[in-house]
Amino acid sequence: MKLTKDVSPTDKKIINRIFWRSFTVFASRVGATKAHAPGFMYSIMPALDEYYKNDKEGHRKAMMRHTTWYNITQNVGTFVMGLVASMEKKTAQDPHFDPETTVAIKTSLMGPLSGIGDSIFWGVLRVIAAGVGISLASQGSILGPLLFLIIYNVPSILTRYYLTYMGFTLGDTFIQNMYESGSMKLLNKAASTLGLMMIGCMTATMVQFKSKLSIPITGGKPILIQTYLDQLWKGLVPLLVTLGCYWLLSKKVNVNWILLGVLVLAIILGLIGVV
Amino acid sequence: MLQTAFLAALCVFICLGGNWLWGQTMIERPLVVGTIMGLIMGDMRTGILIGASLEAIFMGAVDIGGALSAEPVTATVLATTFAITLGVNTKAALALAVPIGVFAAFILMFMKNVVMNIFAPLVDKVASDDNSKGLTRLHFGMWFLNYFIFSLVTFFAVLAGARPVQQLVAKIPANLMAGLAATGGLLPAVGFAILMRMLWSKQLSPYYFLGFILAAYMNLPSVAVAAVGIIIVVIQWIRDKQIMDIENKQKEMVAMPHNENQTKSTETAAEQEEEDFFS
Repeated sequence: MKLTKDVSPTDKKIINRIFWRSFTVFASRVGATKAHAPGFMYSIMPALDEYYKNDKEGHRKAMMRHTTWYNITQNVGTFVMGLVASMEKKTAQDPHFDPETTVAIKTSLMGPLSGIGDSIFWGVLRVIAAGVGISLASQGSILGPLLFLIIYNVPSILTRYYLTYMGFTLGDTFIQNMYESGSMKLLNKAASTLGLMMIGCMTATMVQFKSKLSIPITGGKPILIQTYLDQLWKGLVPLLVTLGCYWLLSKKVNVNWILLGVLVLAIILGLIGVV
Repeated sequence: MLQTAFLAALCVFICLGGNWLWGQTMIERPLVVGTIMGLIMGDMRTGILIGASLEAIFMGAVDIGGALSAEPVTATVLATTFAITLGVNTKAALALAVPIGVFAAFILMFMKNVVMNIFAPLVDKVASDDNSKGLTRLHFGMWFLNYFIFSLVTFFAVLAGARPVQQLVAKIPANLMAGLAATGGLLPAVGFAILMRMLWSKQLSPYYFLGFILAAYMNLPSVAVAAVGIIIVVIQWIRDKQIMDIENKQKEMVAMPHNENQTKSTETAAEQEEEDFFS
């Protein structure tokens, strides 16, 4: 990719080290106040070590700057790491550059980047990978978990790699431009469309309900309620239960209550002999 | 049983700790955990099957920004252990996994968000001392401590829980068992609802039903549904891009003060509307 070509060899080395270190960004979590700040500091350390090589006080100040709260979906967070590295380089070289800008931009990017990262990686890619994986694994095949890991990890590691470079080279205006040109909106829409289709597909295949209720008929076969339900609309109960859960969630009902509710509902249905 | 408990705890440490230590590579998902646990317990097929079912149940259980509805690793490890070593019926093991997962999530969130707060002053200290080695040690030390303590939960759960679980399962009446089995079938609904919360909009909701129908009535496998989805997204993207470009051009033209251009732009706008109407 072209992105990696206009970078000097020293910077390239630094960016590659940031890329490798970024895998550990979420290893520690310092409570709700700092979240993943140590992981972030550890990841960008190669940049600080290089750019503040002869400036111990600058290095110390840079470390202190980045002890603030950090949390971005980790496969896209490398964009911010690359960006911060380039801005710290500027800080080290240009005394007029206000270092607080770095923190401000870092903080302002967390929300939008996590939003898009979570929906693409958690909502879409993982769901597709799991869909493939589950269908193979439910036949007992080892290919299920293997394909699941491959489908999820290959794109996400590539994204992680290129975004580190993009953050370093494209700078802070890039995301803003993407918002202004509307590309961000398109990306979001595409991710949501694909995600919703996959979830619809999974509702049909993975949410299961089968009633054993039957109405006995004298001198004939008993009528199975499930047959009628299927004729009415295939997967009616799973669809209604899923939409019901969604409705409750959108009414801000705590997810644990919903889990418990479904659990109790299913057990009651079992006790009275419906399932 | 001591050995089983140790292996189960080790599996939690490797899968959950490993997942967060290195890149959230999804080795914490039931599909993978079930397989590994099955391998350790000497019955990989059962492990994979349980993993597949639990993957669907815990589909919506992802740690997003430190909020987690259910913790899948402990749930999968315990369910697999119970199913393989105690011979608990798979459906019952699945049903047991859900309350375990909710409880484990509570413990893990408490650890990560409350207990680990005690290290916050230390982070500030290593920063103001300009001690980057200290930071590295702190970073990985916190990782080890957190997941080591959390793995102990599984260790003691297997040690203490094996006998009661065995007795409990033996006593469960048939209709309650059917109910427990049904929970496994219905619970994925909650996970999907959580994901839908993230993606749903009125405008895009038809795609949810499209996905449902393709799978329920056309019996398409999920790969095929994904492929259809990608085609739709590409078409949508091209179309939206065209519309956006036209809109941007119009904005540019309107922004220009020249009279000539202005009349032109209203004309093209009218034309465009007409075109959109007929398309």
